[in-house]
Amino acid sequence: MRKIIEKAMAKGASGCEVFYLNSLRTSVDFETGRLKGVSRTEEKGATLRLVKDGRTGLATTTKLDDTDRIVDDAIATSAFGEKAAFEFAGASELPDVCAASGEVREFEVDTAIKQTEAEIAQVLDYESEINIGGGTFVDLQEIRVATSEGFDATFKRTLYKHYLGGRLIEGTNMLDAGGYFGSTVVDTEPEKLVHDVLTQFKLGRTNVGTKTGPTTVLFTPSAVADVFMTLYLGVSGSIVDRGISPLEGKIGETVFDERVTIHDDGLLKNGYEAAPFDDEGAPMQTTAVVENGVLKNFLTDLRTAKKLDLPRTGNALRAKRLVLTKDLGKVPAPEVTNWVMAGGEKPHEELVAGIKDGVIVDSIMGVLMSNLTAGDFAGNVAYGLKIENGKTTGRVKDTMVSGNIYKLLKDNLLEISSDVELVGRLGFFGSHYFPYLLMKDVPIATKG
Amino acid sequence: MKDRLEQVIKKFASQCDYLEAHVEETEESRVTFSGPRLEDLGRKVDFGGNVRALHKGGWGFASFNSLDRIEEFAQNAIDQAKLVGAETSELAPVEPVRDDVLLDLKSDPREVPLEKKVEILKAYNERALGYDERIVSTSTRYFDRSRKFWFANSEGSLVYQERIDLGGAVTPIAAKDGDSQYFSVPFGSSDDFGVVLGLEGKIDEVSEISLGKLEAPKVKGGEYTVILDPRLGGTFIHEAFGHLSEGDNVYEDKNLQEVMKLGREFGRPILNVYDTGLDKGHRGYLVYDDEGVPTQKTYLIRDGALVGRLHSRETAGRMGEEPTGNARAIDYRFEPVCRMRNTVIENGASSFEEMLADIELGVYAISAQGGQTNGEMFTFTAANACMIRDGKLAEMVRDVTLTGNVFVTLENIDMIGNDQASHDGPGGCGKSGQFPLQTSHGAPHVRIQNVVIGGE
Repeated sequence: MRKIIEKAMAKGASGCEVFYLNSLRTSVDFETGRLKGVSRTEEKGATLRLVKDGRTGLATTTKLDDTDRIVDDAIATSAFGEKAAFEFAGASELPDVCAASGEVREFEVDTAIKQTEAEIAQVLDYESEINIGGGTFVDLQEIRVATSEGFDATFKRTLYKHYLGGRLIEGTNMLDAGGYFGSTVVDTEPEKLVHDVLTQFKLGRTNVGTKTGPTTVLFTPSAVADVFMTLYLGVSGSIVDRGISPLEGKIGETVFDERVTIHDDGLLKNGYEAAPFDDEGAPMQTTAVVENGVLKNFLTDLRTAKKLDLPRTGNALRAKRLVLTKDLGKVPAPEVTNWVMAGGEKPHEELVAGIKDGVIVDSIMGVLMSNLTAGDFAGNVAYGLKIENGKTTGRVKDTMVSGNIYKLLKDNLLEISSDVELVGRLGFFGSHYFPYLLMKDVPIATKG
Repeated sequence: MKDRLEQVIKKFASQCDYLEAHVEETEESRVTFSGPRLEDLGRKVDFGGNVRALHKGGWGFASFNSLDRIEEFAQNAIDQAKLVGAETSELAPVEPVRDDVLLDLKSDPREVPLEKKVEILKAYNERALGYDERIVSTSTRYFDRSRKFWFANSEGSLVYQERIDLGGAVTPIAAKDGDSQYFSVPFGSSDDFGVVLGLEGKIDEVSEISLGKLEAPKVKGGEYTVILDPRLGGTFIHEAFGHLSEGDNVYEDKNLQEVMKLGREFGRPILNVYDTGLDKGHRGYLVYDDEGVPTQKTYLIRDGALVGRLHSRETAGRMGEEPTGNARAIDYRFEPVCRMRNTVIENGASSFEEMLADIELGVYAISAQGGQTNGEMFTFTAANACMIRDGKLAEMVRDVTLTGNVFVTLENIDMIGNDQASHDGPGGCGKSGQFPLQTSHGAPHVRIQNVVIGGE
C-alpha cells in the first residue's frame, strides 16, 4: 500500500489514494431441498486514484505483486482525466464502530448446513411439494484506505447473509416465497425467516382478483425497500449535482407528509454498511435525510460535498449495488448506507384490520427498470394479497403497481405502522429498518 | 499456464469424480461521462482463477487471485465437494476438447488509444448536451475488456480462449420542473470497435425523443394489444421464456418438469425461438462455454411447441438430454450456471402495417429499459412508446411497463414480423448473484393481445 503511494508520488503524482480490499467469502447453498455446494472465494485487490498535473487517474488490479502496472495505468489515464476537484482525505478522528463479530469469523460450514437443513424440514413439513432452497454467505473483509494526505486506516468487517426461498407449483401456478437476513452478525431472530416464508405460502395459496384503478395499498417493509430505490437516488449528491434530482434546491423545505422521518445511519449497530470510514476515508456518521417531512441533507462524497458546498456525510462507497459486494474498480460515489425510517402510531395488524378494500404489496418485480430518478416506479406485484373488510382473502396476481414516490409520500400517506422491521433486501444495499406504509389511491392495473 | 493447470488436474483428479481448473486474465478500459464531467476514466487488470470439484453429486469450488497457491485451493474445493456429496455424480458426456481459440476481429479496440476513445465519447457527450438547453445531463459510457481464459479438466480437455467484449451507451437526460426523462443509443460487440463510430444521427434522434417524453402523458393503466419493436421483442423473449428454459431451474424440480415437458404447446405455430452461441460479433457469441463445451444453436420453441432447453453438463446429464454449451460464469470468482447467449424470436410472415391494421386501441412499445422474471411472471419496460389508434400510430406516451404470465402471453402472440434483428447494449443479464453477464437478444416486430400495462 505505502509502496504504491510512494511509487505514484515518485512518478509525479501530486496526491493519491489507495483502496485495498481483502475478502474471504464462503457460501453454503441448498437447492431443491438438498445441499448443493460449498464454495470459497478469496479476493485481494487495490484501486489507485491519483492526481497528476491537476488531472485525475484511476487503475485497479488484483495482481498485487505487480505494483508498477497499477501506478503506470493510473498515470496513463490521468493524462486525459477530469480536472481534480477535491482533495483526498487527510487524517481525522474516526467513530468507534464495531463491524466484526467473532461469531461470524468463527462461522462453521457444518453449523450453517444444520441450520438450513432444519429450516427446510419445517417448510417441507408444511408442504412436501415445495421446491425449497436456501443457504448462508459469509464475507470476512479487511478494508484499508491510505492517502498521500495522511489518512491511513484499516477496519475488519464480517458480513453475514442467510436466506431461504421456495416455489410451490400447482398446475401452472407458481407461488414464490422467500426471506433474507443481512447483517454483520449471525441471525438475531433465527426463527423469523422460516416463519415469514411459511406465512407467505399459507396466505398466498389461493388466487383472487382485484380491479384496475386507484387502490388503498399497504406496502410492507420489503416493498418499501423496493419503492425507496427512487428516493435513494433523489438524495444522492451526484444526482443533485447532475441537475436531475426532483429534490434539488429543497433543503429546509417540507417535501413530504410531516410524519416522514428517515435517517441514513452509517454507524448503525450490526448494520451491513456500517463502518468507521467510507471508501475514500471520510468518517461515517448518522445523517438526517428527512425529519418531520422536511428535507435535511443530501448524501455526499468528498467531491460532491465540495462541489455543492454541502456538509460531507461519509457516504462514498464502491458498491456493486445489485449483488451486495464491493466493486474494486468502481469510482466511489454517494450511496445509501443503512436507512432507518421512524415508525408511526399503530401496529400494522391494526392497519390491515382497518382496510375495507385494498391490497398488501410485499415485493415488486421490475422496479429497477423504472424511471427512478424522476421518482417513478412500476412493476409486477410478485407477492401481494387482497384485503377485504380487514382480512386477507388471497393472492393478487398478473397485477402492476406504480406511482411516484414524491407524490405518494406527500399526498397519499394514510398511516405509518408503529412496527419497524429489518430489511436486508437485494437491490437495496445495507441493513434497513422500514415500517409498513398505508397509502391511498395507488395506481393498480390488472387483467380483466 | 496450460502445463500448470494440467499438473494440478493430474495431481488431484484421483480424489474426486470430476475436477476442473480455470485461470483468466482480463484487461479493461472504461470511459464514463456524467453530464459534462468525465466521471470515470480507468483501467483494470484482473487476474485470478478457480478450481471446481464434483464428488458424489456435490460440488466444491474455490477461487483465488494467487496462482502460486492453486494447489491449496484445489484441495479446498475437493474437501468441500466431499462434505457435500451424498449421491452420484452425473455429467452429460462430451468429447474432450484440446483447442486454442484466438481472436478474429473486425476492428480491435485495443489498438485504439485511450485518448482517442475519450475524444469520441466526449464528442458524443457534448453533442447530446448541446442538443437543447433542456438536456441537463447525460450518461455516456464505454468499456472494453480483453480476456484470456485457460481451462483444463480431468477428462483431458484443455482449452485456451481469447475474447473481446465491448459496449456502451449515450443517454441524453432531459429535465423540466422536477421531472426527468431519458432515452439511449446502446451499442455492443464481441469483435468490432466500429459499433462505437458514427452514432451522431442516432444521438440527435434520442435527444429529440427524450425531450418529447417530457411533454408526453403517462400511459393509462390497463390491458392492451401491443406491438413490440425488435429490440423490446428481444428483451421480452429473454425474460418471458429464456430464463424458464434454463436447465438448472428444471432438472431437480419434478413439478416444473411436468410444466416444461418437451412437446408442450407454449404458443401458436408461428412462434419459433432459439438461443445460440454461434452469432459472431454479438456479445453473446461464445465458442466454448465455461465447462469447455462447444456452443450451438439450440431451438427452444419450434412451431409453438417446447423442443429444448439450456443446459450445463450436470443438468443435461440428470435429465438425459444433450449438453448445449450454456454453462457460463461472469468471471473466475463464480461457478458456471445455465445462462443464455443470443436469444432470438425467428422471423414470421407479417409486415408491420398488417400488424397495425386492425388495432383499434393499442400500444407500440419501443426499445427496452430492462426486464425481470420470476419464472411464471415477467415484466419489462419500454424506453419509448406511442399509442395505436384505429390502425395508426398516434401520440407518444411514457412510463410503459408491461407485465405478463408466460403461459398466457406466449399463446397471445398472434402476429410475428419479418424484420428480425439482434441487438447488443452495454448491460447484461443477472442470475444467482452474477451480474452483469454479456448476452444478446433479438426479434422481429411482435404483436401480443391482452398485455397488462401499469399506470393510473
